[in-house]
Amino acid sequence: MSGVVKLALGVAAALLVHLVGSRLSPDFPRVMDVFLVVVAVHALSGNTLTGLLVGMAVGLVHDTLTGGLYGLHGFADTIVGYGTARLAQRLVIQRASGVFLVVGLASVLQQVVLVGLTFLLLDPALPRPQWVGAKAVACGLLGMLIYAVAGSMGRNYESRRRSRMSRLRLE
Amino acid sequence: MDERRTGWLLILVLAGQLVFLASRVPGRGHGTALESAGLRVLGPAARLVAVISEGFSGSRESLVLHGRMIDENRALKREVMDLKLRLLRASDLGAEMARLGAAVGYAAPPAGDIRAADVVYVDRASLLRTLVLYAGPRPARVNQPVLSPEGLVGRVVVVAGPYAKVQLITDRAAAVGAMALRTRRQGVVRGSARDLGFGLELDYVPLQADIRVGDRIVTAGIDGVYPRGIPVGTVVSVEPGGQLFHKIALAPAVDFGALDQVYLLDHEPVPDPIKEALPGVRRR
Repeated sequence: MSGVVKLALGVAAALLVHLVGSRLSPDFPRVMDVFLVVVAVHALSGNTLTGLLVGMAVGLVHDTLTGGLYGLHGFADTIVGYGTARLAQRLVIQRASGVFLVVGLASVLQQVVLVGLTFLLLDPALPRPQWVGAKAVACGLLGMLIYAVAGSMGRNYESRRRSRMSRLRLE
Repeated sequence: MDERRTGWLLILVLAGQLVFLASRVPGRGHGTALESAGLRVLGPAARLVAVISEGFSGSRESLVLHGRMIDENRALKREVMDLKLRLLRASDLGAEMARLGAAVGYAAPPAGDIRAADVVYVDRASLLRTLVLYAGPRPARVNQPVLSPEGLVGRVVVVAGPYAKVQLITDRAAAVGAMALRTRRQGVVRGSARDLGFGLELDYVPLQADIRVGDRIVTAGIDGVYPRGIPVGTVVSVEPGGQLFHKIALAPAVDFGALDQVYLLDHEPVPDPIKEALPGVRRR
């Protein structure tokens, strides 16, 4: 599956989870930003160019569904996408716990940028620190889960492909 | 592209976005073409989720409520009778008001029609609050007031085909010209940082003004957006403010956590040429 299709599916899934989650609980967007998880997990590939472009595009999709200035999440997610990709270039992330840390950090960075921007441009109500922490942990956990599931699916696919190839050779 | 070039691109993209954001601050009530296009694409998805979830909750509720419906029906019939009586009295009063108004040559501004619109997405959790409506084939218009049976919800800020984005009155950047029903004292209602951001504040009411806990606050009809008399909230606390004004907290008339359908008010706003001719009004 090409990267673009994977990304489009990821964004569509994030949109669905966001809409259903918001419908089920008004606190859902307070503790989980699925769009950020998509940006951060995508940026783990280490490509800074696609990291920043995907961050901007996904952030603008998120902005369409939130109030306030259009472009706030676009700006914040551009920084998060680029920053996460730069971090991924310097770190060797092999365990899911590493992904948890990186995505959690990305969530904190995004919230700091959002609050800073709204302070500069508007007069916002500050989010409570416990929500910032809860969101970082929740995003980190989701990122870790996606990473682990995607990794295990990839390994399964590869082993099935190898066994099929070896059977073909034997025949 | 090498890392250095990507770094420059990042700076360029961020600078462009900052300029875009800064340019949007003075007129943040109006959406961009990009935002409208985004809403046009994402609106149907939000509506689909809303319809499916309403279908599920509707069928579950119908099973649960089936037994209670007969009692409720009787109670509603009694209420309808009571309301019919009240309506008779109210229309009597209305006719009397019209007669008195005609005697002194008073022409009240037209109240306007209302039409229902489904809420397809609510964002109550972000720093700034909003909801997305499906208005049907007759689109909403920018600055159109949005009501619920309990009172004022907000105003339309972006229109994209049948979808519209609404700025709630609990948004910190929203401002509503309002007055106390008892004393007619006017002020400006804004979203409050208190109560997890679901509260309201009434600003610019001087310390010497008579305002009490329990006073009902309605729209004053002075901001060119909302007509007079729509319930906004009730005063829950009055404290002496920093210098000249009271610090007044309001409980909103509307339960923003229970909105699934709202009403768009088709009333005639103050025409733009008149607003633009007022001193101190910024021209866009």
